[in-house]
Amino acid sequence: MSKENELKFGFPIGAWQKDSLELFGAAGYDINFDENFQKIEIDDPEIACVLIRPVAMVSFIEKGFLDAGISTEASVLEAQAKIVQICNLEFLKPVPSKTKIVIAVPKDSAIKSIKDLDGKKIVTRVPNIARRFLEKNMVPAEIIYSDALNEPLAGVVADAIIEFSRTGNYLKAYNLRIIETIFESSVILIANEKVLKNKWKKEKIESLGYLLKGARLAQEYAGLMLHASNEMMEVVLKVLPSLKKPTVTHLRGENWFDVLTVADKKEIRNIIPKLKKIGCTDIVEFPLNKVVL
Amino acid sequence: MESQKIKLGIPKGSLQEYTLKVFKSAGFDIDVPERGYFLKIDDPEIECFLLRPQEIPKYVEKGKLDLGISGDDWIFESKAKVIEVCDLKYAKQKIKEVRWVLAVPQDSKIKSIKNLKGKIISTEAINLVKDYLKKNKVKARVEFSWGTTEVKPPRFADAIVDVTETGASLRAHNLKILDTVFLSSTKLITNKAAWQDEWKREKIKDISLLLQGAVRGEEVVNLMMHIPGEKLNKILKILPKLKVPTIRKLASENWYDVTIGCEAKSVRELIPKLKRMGCQGIVEFPVSKIVS
Repeated sequence: MSKENELKFGFPIGAWQKDSLELFGAAGYDINFDENFQKIEIDDPEIACVLIRPVAMVSFIEKGFLDAGISTEASVLEAQAKIVQICNLEFLKPVPSKTKIVIAVPKDSAIKSIKDLDGKKIVTRVPNIARRFLEKNMVPAEIIYSDALNEPLAGVVADAIIEFSRTGNYLKAYNLRIIETIFESSVILIANEKVLKNKWKKEKIESLGYLLKGARLAQEYAGLMLHASNEMMEVVLKVLPSLKKPTVTHLRGENWFDVLTVADKKEIRNIIPKLKKIGCTDIVEFPLNKVVL
Repeated sequence: MESQKIKLGIPKGSLQEYTLKVFKSAGFDIDVPERGYFLKIDDPEIECFLLRPQEIPKYVEKGKLDLGISGDDWIFESKAKVIEVCDLKYAKQKIKEVRWVLAVPQDSKIKSIKNLKGKIISTEAINLVKDYLKKNKVKARVEFSWGTTEVKPPRFADAIVDVTETGASLRAHNLKILDTVFLSSTKLITNKAAWQDEWKREKIKDISLLLQGAVRGEEVVNLMMHIPGEKLNKILKILPKLKVPTIRKLASENWYDVTIGCEAKSVRELIPKLKRMGCQGIVEFPVSKIVS
């Protein structure tokens, strides 16, 4: 089944599917998902793609059925598998709220804290994570696995659910309240441990990591260009973030400098007014495709 | 002097989105009203019309339009005598060229072009097919199809000649491709009268330059990086030579800032390589236009 120079790569089915394909696009791949046939096509003959559930993918990668893939931290914990994390892609795009695993109960429930779960019925998508969490807190409870929409079950067939939550909209819609956040789960690029001993595969996976992370960072960063006089330079360099060494060029025949750097867009919105006050001119912000630090 | 205007035809349908996008990166904003064929463009020297690409070549030939965008297929099909100003091959679009193919039912006895003799071929591009048959010295009946040509075989036609992208629609209708009949790319076209008018020719040349710059800009990106002094020469050797790199020494350090232009496609190989060779702060940013 294994070809010499071919990377067997997994894409996550479900919540992360669309954004991971888009991130691959931003990383420089023409990637197509045929909805009818559930087939992924990529313009790189060295990558063979399959779609698979994130938890199953972790086991596939651990056992070497797949070389690498995009999965989540929660899936790795749930599958209890030994894999290598290549890089953290956070949530694949800039998002205002993180994805968490939470314990939620109906708003009017008498359950106020973890201790109150003693002897209760809990429905969860991540039974291993749930079991270990409750054991650690020494709370015996009955755990049942379900991978459909679990929010409607709380208060009907279960006393509590342990589920993913990003915006909290589902919890609100079903009148649930969070009693505990177990942990935050990012999307990660992972690989099989042994595969990394193969030089070609290691480089291919690492390169993917640089490109995906680079495309991911470029969503958060922008380029910044400005002119500053010699007297302003010291203050300007203090105001600019130290993420990347700014490139400073002397403007021909003048006492002015051209300064070029990249910065977090959220910082830039504070930096630009500051630079303007210092007296900088010709301040230009421009979009980026990739940032590899 | 009375104000002169270029009358421009923008193709409606599959080429529309791409055409508007290229005009936008070329610096022209075009507003498409929900109905009607008068488009608003933010250049008082251009008047813009939205028309079927099949009709644009004829209107350009007759001087109803000074300038238009259409495909080689419709230029050929309409037999319009027009002047090709430039090719607008678009890299980011998955399909650079539109492919017209000859297709027959999976179980058809037609195995090659020769078997088409005396058969009925349904198509939207009659002249294209007639020319193809003539070149292959096969006599068959070519029937005009108003659309959804792929559903016609086997009841209404023995074979079809139609545009395909991925071939998915042909497969879904149980058709298989026998041959490629015509490859078409997008063209900017004008007529003799407009080309001989000095003002119009200059304006058309300017538009062409900007459109080509925008198309080229899609294919190219800039790459900025910091290179340690001791590795500068080695790394400069592997950088693509699209244009001369800009090299600047960082103040008070033995590091250099190098900016290059390179093919967007080459970046996914280049960035990991540069990273492994010791470059830092590698930043890729897009280019709107390249005019060389």
